[in-house]
Amino acid sequence: MISAYEGDTVASALYASGVRTFSRSFLFHRKRGLLCVSGRCPNCMVTVDGVPNVRACCEPAREGMKVKRQNGWPSTDTDIFSGVQLIERFLPVGFYYKTFINFPTEWANTQPMIRRLTGRGSVKQELARWNAQAASGGHGDRFEKQYLHPDVVVVGGGPAGVFAALAASRAGASAVLVHDQPSLGGHLRFEGDTVDLGSVEGAEEFSGMRGYELAAKLDRLARAEENLRVYDNANAFGLYESNEVGVVQGNKMLKLRAKQLIISTGAGEYLTVFKNNDLPGVLLGSGVRRMLALYGVPPGKNAVVVTNNDSGLSLANALLEAGVKVSAFADARTKVDTSSPRFEALRKSGAILLTGYSIKEAEGGGRVTGATLIRLDENGAATAGTEKSFKCDTICLANGFEPDAALLTQARCRVSYDEALGEFIPSESPASVQTCGDVTGIHDLRCAFLQANIAGLQAASGLASATKAPAGKLNELSASLKSAETAYRDRLASQGPRPIIGIVSEPTDGKGRKPEMNGFACICEDVKEKELAQAVEEGFRDIEILKRYSTLTMGPCEGKMCATPGVGICARETGRSIADAGRTVSRPPYLPVPMGALAGPGLHPVKLTAMHYKHLEAGATLMDMGEWKRPHVYTSVFEEYSAVRTKVGIIDLSTLGRLDVKGRDAPKLLDFIYTHTMSKLQNGKSRYGVICDDAGAILDDGTVTRLGEDHYFITTSTGNIDFVEQWLTWWAVAKKWEAQVTNLTSGFAAVNVAGPRARDLLRTLTDVDLSTEKFPYMASGSGLVAGVPCILLRIGFVGETGWEIHFPAEYGEYFWDRLMEAGRPFGIMPFGVETQRLLRLEKMHVIVSQDTDALSTPYEANMAWVVKLDKEDFVGKAALTFAKDEVPQRRLVGFTVEGEVVPHDGDQAFSPDGSTLIGVVTSCRYSPAAQKPVGLALIRSDLSADGGTFLVASGTSKLNAKITFVPFYDPEGRRLKE
Amino acid sequence: MGFLLACPNCGQRDVYEFRFGGEVHARPQFGASKKDWMDYVYRRSNTAGVENEWWYHRMGCRRWFQATRDTTNNSVLRTFWTDQEGSDNAVRARK
Repeated sequence: MISAYEGDTVASALYASGVRTFSRSFLFHRKRGLLCVSGRCPNCMVTVDGVPNVRACCEPAREGMKVKRQNGWPSTDTDIFSGVQLIERFLPVGFYYKTFINFPTEWANTQPMIRRLTGRGSVKQELARWNAQAASGGHGDRFEKQYLHPDVVVVGGGPAGVFAALAASRAGASAVLVHDQPSLGGHLRFEGDTVDLGSVEGAEEFSGMRGYELAAKLDRLARAEENLRVYDNANAFGLYESNEVGVVQGNKMLKLRAKQLIISTGAGEYLTVFKNNDLPGVLLGSGVRRMLALYGVPPGKNAVVVTNNDSGLSLANALLEAGVKVSAFADARTKVDTSSPRFEALRKSGAILLTGYSIKEAEGGGRVTGATLIRLDENGAATAGTEKSFKCDTICLANGFEPDAALLTQARCRVSYDEALGEFIPSESPASVQTCGDVTGIHDLRCAFLQANIAGLQAASGLASATKAPAGKLNELSASLKSAETAYRDRLASQGPRPIIGIVSEPTDGKGRKPEMNGFACICEDVKEKELAQAVEEGFRDIEILKRYSTLTMGPCEGKMCATPGVGICARETGRSIADAGRTVSRPPYLPVPMGALAGPGLHPVKLTAMHYKHLEAGATLMDMGEWKRPHVYTSVFEEYSAVRTKVGIIDLSTLGRLDVKGRDAPKLLDFIYTHTMSKLQNGKSRYGVICDDAGAILDDGTVTRLGEDHYFITTSTGNIDFVEQWLTWWAVAKKWEAQVTNLTSGFAAVNVAGPRARDLLRTLTDVDLSTEKFPYMASGSGLVAGVPCILLRIGFVGETGWEIHFPAEYGEYFWDRLMEAGRPFGIMPFGVETQRLLRLEKMHVIVSQDTDALSTPYEANMAWVVKLDKEDFVGKAALTFAKDEVPQRRLVGFTVEGEVVPHDGDQAFSPDGSTLIGVVTSCRYSPAAQKPVGLALIRSDLSADGGTFLVASGTSKLNAKITFVPFYDPEGRRLKE
Repeated sequence: MGFLLACPNCGQRDVYEFRFGGEVHARPQFGASKKDWMDYVYRRSNTAGVENEWWYHRMGCRRWFQATRDTTNNSVLRTFWTDQEGSDNAVRARK
């Protein structure tokens, strides 16, 4: 139980209450504390309310949140696995490859143990949270997605980003700014100095105030800007095709598609490599400034500041102001003017000032108790014997910035090393991408202001909505920028070389190598400097290969802490310059993204028929069929079966697809789509039809009913309606035929009333003449049933006299009730999908895509009768014409087996001697009519002779199946025509 | 894949609103050789460059149109109704 102030993050609250160890490291289980305090390093990842790997330094503290530190057993403070360090020398770089290549079988045994020892967090809790959410109705912090298409997207909320966003939106562009902080202004938020942007036009309104005042002003201005939307606490994690920026904001994922992209992601400090550089108490300078300015939490009581640039001095002064003693201040540069008032203040406080010094080692076990500093020579190499030791509890590292160039490389910008700046900076970028601010490697607010205004104006310039920038404005800005940048570079040059610390900061042996190299190059994966050196020695000299072999830059920080030092070590070990060593390419995601955010809301659309609640009342168990819920069975298959075969049954067929096809060319279109001839169908008649593709394979089946000269009503199978609709409309467009296709699926409901008493039942509700003379099998009609306007189709899918009745969906429950009521004297029962499957199987009626597959032709399915090759060209005619004269490879056969065992759908079929796989059982049920299991199987046609046999392997049994082509029930089809 | 596509009816929309209907290519006349039919059914030119394609605005107006697209960079050069094209391309879409 700890308390927190408003504005605190989890990390600042924990730190203020005395917590120093935030996690245990990935491999060695070393203690790790706060380091970057900006969400860039892996050290403060904790489990918050069951969600693992939350960066404590970015997560706002909330009342009642449960925070658990990760990776330590029994606890993060006392971790028995930290003993792994003692066997470190047996865990060389490439340990897995080297060890298990000789003992591949051991991998299986060892892997679970390694998994337990390494890694971060536990995903089980995450799953538990999901389940809990689902159980409580799925509300709460559910994931969602948002899509935006602004003219300009600005990534980064520092001064450059805000300046650019303001410039672009004021020039008429619609802009979106995303940044990962709660408020805008970036590093200005903790800058107390007065800002001077120079004498550029437009700069006056931002000059003459302190940094944090300007930050507040920028925040206010940006939010007031009409054309600009600001997304706080939003992480841009990747850049995808056509300028699509992926952004995660809490549980929301934003997909921003920008015409122009402005990248002002700034720069971050990286970790310097020296002995014990990962001890809790070693912090990055910018992190310390955040802690002081944003949360009012001093990092310790006694600090040593190590720097090689101007930011170190501001940092040291900020520490003094916060009451933290600075016992030593080491600046690696030799040509620093130490007479400025700030140095004076530092000196007065009692700090030892050292120029040309840097750090060799952090002292202490478990946390920092001191620092060993060492003198550097003019090349930046450490000089033995010059060590100085200082007691302290905090070491602040301000040893240089690395531009956050990940999005730039993903945008295909070229990024190259600038010797003078000592940073990898963008050199070329595509026309749709602008850069400004610290990400360009120029850490100067004047330059940033100019760059940002240029970027904003350029981004807006191509847009129709934009106001034209005054001629010459861009040129003027560019000229100012050029001189400001030159001034900045000159100032940098005057300060002499800035050795990249940690790359050669220990005394070297004769070969220029450091003897120990015990510092961590990569704190995510616990890769030490010496392991990189060893990997290079083994031949992994290329930075990309070195990365894959050593896992450098591959941890959760994605190289933010280790890319620059890693490249430096690689360059030194391979005797190349940093520019030649190059750098690894960043790929999205730039930071860890919750899988749920990528997946989006866990919404599963469900379609309910108009009679759905009637089925629930009747006690139906439901099944999923596409998006529909359908009754699987109400009472028992056997009871329902008996009702249909001996009395009357009713099934909800509302899920069937329905299309209304109208227009001059409708008959032509349907002739072309179906293998049957539909133009010759008489008005009021129905016909079964099959749709094939041009390979002759069956796509769908259904009924076609002619309602008028140019008017048809067609049904499709439940899951295929969207496809059939698209298929029909596409052919109509491709053929330039006049035919309107309207999807009536959800507008109608339907039932099938079938059984020997079906006619008697319906007669009580309708005046439509249902006699076989007037309404024979496959006829259709329309009229009122129970007062409801209906289309009636006499169809016999289940093998009994029956009518498929389609009617407006809004009558659904009423109509169902009336039928059930009127049917009671006839013994009516509702039946489910499972019963229907059995009923139709006894008739050998095929279910497309159950009994056929994506290659089945009508010939294979024994449905040659539906193919009319004598009509004009239709889809599949050519293929079917070729197929007609060939023996099909497979054939759909009916079969029976003897005995108790009922094979399953999908069981395999073998040749009679059991030697060869010949096909598959597509449907099989126990048939009450045949008194034995009956089924359909798709098997090799050369073994499909009527009366022949094959073997079915079902579970452990091998069953003898006898082939038949005679339906198992009412083979003459008398009952359905009665 | 991700880009915007201008439906001739609805305007610029995300490509995920659409169904891709395949490249536009001519359907043989009945009576063509087996090889012609096989090419039509199974072979695609798979152009690396500019091609005409069918698209269907599945989550919008549910209409078919054609687009001319550069497959190497997904830039859509134009979209149009086929009757405005005046061509008589008989074509196919995959299921």
